[in-house]
Amino acid sequence: MTKHKHILTHGLAAIALTLGTYSAAVSAEDYTKMTPKALAEHLIFKAGGFKLDEATQEGTTVTERQTQDGIQKACSALGSKTIDGDTAAKVNAMARKSIVKPDGGIKLGDWKKGQALARSGFGFRVGHRDDDHSKREPGGNCYACHQLDPNEIAFGTLGPSLAAYGKTRGTSEAMLNYAYEVIYNPHSYFPCTYMPRFGHNKVLTQEQISHVMAYLFDPESPVNQELKPQSW
Amino acid sequence: MLRRTLFALPMALALGTTASAESDKAPEDVLNELINKVDSKYLTQSEQNIMMMPDNPAYWTVDEGEELFSEPRGPKNASLETCDFGKGPGVLDGAYTEMPRFFADTGKVMDLETRLIHCMMTIQGFTKDDAPVKKRHGSGSDMMKLQTYIASKSNGQPWNPPMDHPLERAMRDAGKELFYRRAGSFDFSCKTCHGATGKRIRASVLPSVEFPEEWTKAISWPAYRVGHQNVRSSQHRVRGCYWQMRQGLVKPGSDASIALISFWTDAARGQPAILPDMKR
Ligand code: HEC
Repeated sequence: MTKHKHILTHGLAAIALTLGTYSAAVSAEDYTKMTPKALAEHLIFKAGGFKLDEATQEGTTVTERQTQDGIQKACSALGSKTIDGDTAAKVNAMARKSIVKPDGGIKLGDWKKGQALARSGFGFRVGHRDDDHSKREPGGNCYACHQLDPNEIAFGTLGPSLAAYGKTRGTSEAMLNYAYEVIYNPHSYFPCTYMPRFGHNKVLTQEQISHVMAYLFDPESPVNQELKPQSW
Repeated sequence: MLRRTLFALPMALALGTTASAESDKAPEDVLNELINKVDSKYLTQSEQNIMMMPDNPAYWTVDEGEELFSEPRGPKNASLETCDFGKGPGVLDGAYTEMPRFFADTGKVMDLETRLIHCMMTIQGFTKDDAPVKKRHGSGSDMMKLQTYIASKSNGQPWNPPMDHPLERAMRDAGKELFYRRAGSFDFSCKTCHGATGKRIRASVLPSVEFPEEWTKAISWPAYRVGHQNVRSSQHRVRGCYWQMRQGLVKPGSDASIALISFWTDAARGQPAILPDMKR
């Protein structure tokens, strides 16, 4: 082991000299003595894995982006396993605490704006070709994972179909409240879901959420129209 | 070169020579055998790409890489023929499918790109700011020409990254942590999009890390990306997925990127590589 450690240290030093780049980041740490989790964190934050000092659109740096909060930590710890009861309860409780409701109650906005938000995948990309939020507002990219308008053919299947959402579920206060909470922080109903926490993570504003909700619930919205007969 | 080998194949068979059957298969044959073996929407998603594979523009890149490889270059006017990719100086057959691996001369686990850069700097004397080392992307870059050529020498070979050295296992295990690690504005981990088979993001069918026959195609880089009209590397894919995940820029050649590639290669263990591949 000592011999191996020596080679390792020596080799790393040589690389640092030749590449001359990550010299500050390269340390003589013995990776084999760390747990996989500790090594992963080390590679991100200490060993020059990411461009940590880059500014993000939300006014922080990549360091904050890469740092996990409680829900991210708990759900990542599952790895490839399905969720267990303890994790579900813990994550669910964190999610419930996080929800902030709009001051004047939950209202539906403009479905046309909601449609644009559902289609747009713009926003929050950093590293190269950064998304400039001053030029264009970020979207929710709902279509990446969900079917919404039954007549739209390009939709993802990572999440369930939301076609005819309002038509089949109605627009009761309870229903609107539920949909708002799911968009704000979906772990409040589906702990460790893949769906982003659009409200909690400040991807969408409360106003934008109201537009997306109009797209889901407004009877005029394409989401709640019939499937048009195909022309072929 | 590859195409020349293909034309020579029927002749070799007729003469009863015992050329390794695996390495004489064309990439599309490797892919079609997988398609016949398993049911995967990802493998079959682009019929057009499969049809175009015999004319994959990446073959030009392979040919250019072959020339560059044996050409004396750099301040030391040396070729790369003494570069050791893990199976001995200049041995390329099946070398790439056994990477990333631990190299005693650097004390590091290195992927193809990092190893290639190491050789270009130590053997040929290039510095990190010289274009052949600095320019990592695009079919026209020396880096992509060389990588595509070297990788093509592992076409049809099963992925078999060594796990004998403790550092190889440590990097693979850390890579697994990185793969399942949620972070950023969208809470994504790689598993979000690559944890199940047959799922689509918008119109793209996503490969699953838990389906090795599918995952081998996913990690078969360099591949010609039709949408980019360029040959792309593993490092380019890692960067692109982190970008789409709204996480930070992963540094090329960093241990984080190599750990992730160690894990993703291990996840395709035993499945044949498709090199060069053609992707959307
Ligand atoms: C938001 C969804 C998403 C996440 C999260 C994601 N990817 Fe991808 N990944 C994609 C898409 C989309 C493609 C391209 C598939 C296509 O176009 O057919 C892709 C392609 C790939 C491929 C190549 C397969 C191909 O056909 O192009 C690999 C390998 C890969 N991703 C690995 C990763 C890794 C590693 C991570 C985590 C660092 C990751 N992905 C995170 C969406 C994602």
